[in-house]
Amino acid sequence: MRLTQTSFVFRRVFKSLKELFWTHILTSGTMAMTLFIFGGFLLIQENLHGLLRGWGSQVQVFVYLEKELAPEELDQLLKQVRSYPDVERVRYVSKTEAWEKFKQTLGAQAGVLEGLKADILPASLEIALKGPHRTRAAAEALAQRLRGLRGVGEVEYPEEWVEKLGLLVLGIQWAKWVLGGFLFVATLLIVGSTVRLAFLARRDEIEIMQLVGAPAGLIKAPFVIEGMIQGVAGASVALFGLWLFFLFLHDRIPASFGVFAPGGGLHFLDLQGSVVLVLLGWAMGTGGSLFSLRQFLKRWSG
Amino acid sequence: MVRLFRVSKIYPPNYAALADIHLQIEKGEFVFLNGPSGAGKTTLLRLLFREEEATEGQIIVNGRNITRLNGGAVARLRQELGLVFQEFKLLPTLTALENVALAAEVVGAPRREGRKKAFHLLRELGLKDKHDCKPPALSGGEQQRVAIARALVNDPILVLADEPTGNLDAEMAEETMRLFLRIHEQGTTVVIATHDTGLLQRFSHRVVYLQRGRLVGDSKPADGERSA
Repeated sequence: MRLTQTSFVFRRVFKSLKELFWTHILTSGTMAMTLFIFGGFLLIQENLHGLLRGWGSQVQVFVYLEKELAPEELDQLLKQVRSYPDVERVRYVSKTEAWEKFKQTLGAQAGVLEGLKADILPASLEIALKGPHRTRAAAEALAQRLRGLRGVGEVEYPEEWVEKLGLLVLGIQWAKWVLGGFLFVATLLIVGSTVRLAFLARRDEIEIMQLVGAPAGLIKAPFVIEGMIQGVAGASVALFGLWLFFLFLHDRIPASFGVFAPGGGLHFLDLQGSVVLVLLGWAMGTGGSLFSLRQFLKRWSG
Repeated sequence: MVRLFRVSKIYPPNYAALADIHLQIEKGEFVFLNGPSGAGKTTLLRLLFREEEATEGQIIVNGRNITRLNGGAVARLRQELGLVFQEFKLLPTLTALENVALAAEVVGAPRREGRKKAFHLLRELGLKDKHDCKPPALSGGEQQRVAIARALVNDPILVLADEPTGNLDAEMAEETMRLFLRIHEQGTTVVIATHDTGLLQRFSHRVVYLQRGRLVGDSKPADGERSA
């Protein structure tokens, strides 16, 4: 396409955006809603993933000791536990440290501990597992071994719900693609309808252009560019909407949620996620236009 | 310039709009296609600018076989032609100047150049003061002159006109025909489909007669009979 024709195409795009303003707004709005829902899933999934990653790195087995061990007994126990291939590190928490930590956790309510002895909590070992062993099954196997050691009282490890959360994330991931897929197809049809409307509105112009020898590319280009603009505009609105929604949630999610989420709580979509959303909008707009043009021109000329 | 060999156009289920047409039009000729409604005049023109595809036979325009062409080649063919229709086919939202310049721009002429050429043509066709008017504000004859200017803006080698005077009164029709003769005098091949036998008598040129899709006559005026 020549430069002069490029300017011709953009003038036609501008004219169409002006003349069919509300039709374009409606299509962009529909795309924005679709992408908002898709982006919402993306946001939830990313945050739950982050949560799981954080928890995964924190999968620990807690060993509560039966009594305060003598230093040499404690050294021997630590040495033995550290020799296990699935153990990354072991930290000894004395009765005093456990008490102080507990008081800290209670914060303003620490007063309820008044009158209790400081050695009421047992000493313990916090055992972090190596990467590949950060699963409930591996933690359970280690717990079995630990229970057989001298001086070991109770052993605790991550509960089943952590794994269920993993399944939930997987579910959201699937829902994102399945629901997103449906919405994607629906949006393509909507974009297609807008292109058809724009086509019908300019049918005479297109017919005349064809009669005077306008190349097909010159006739189609404005519609494709309009689709792209609609897609990118819709995606940008969706992204902005998600950001507002995120801010709204961020202020309302209970503070305790932050305790569970290592790294400081909720996160918005990163640059990659945002770019994916905009590209998706672009692809929807372009794809919808091309699909519709193909169908419409075929039917018209046939 | 134009050659048709055994050309037929059959519409389903079995209607022959044109049957076994042999026709040759030389470069620089002025030809009327004449015949009653349904004779096949419009179909023949539509085959020449490839709005329709011949069912049988071969069509050569300016040395190129246009019987089977893809979309791009059809566009290139039309860039070499000037088309004029009975119903003008002007865009009512554009001015006369914009209507003419549009045809230049879509084939790649810079905007300014297209508008300059369009203005020049409109002035030549007596529409100097109407270039800023939109078609609804123009008379039928003026609209047809805008359509002719559009047909000429890309310097066509062949002008095809389908009943160009069909919507005009006698005076306007006469004036429009004189325009086509001027175009012809400048060396352009002109083919006009018309059912108006009065025009043929007033403007004595070659007449190709069609009836029920068949070519039934081809008369060339003797030297000295031609109108100018």
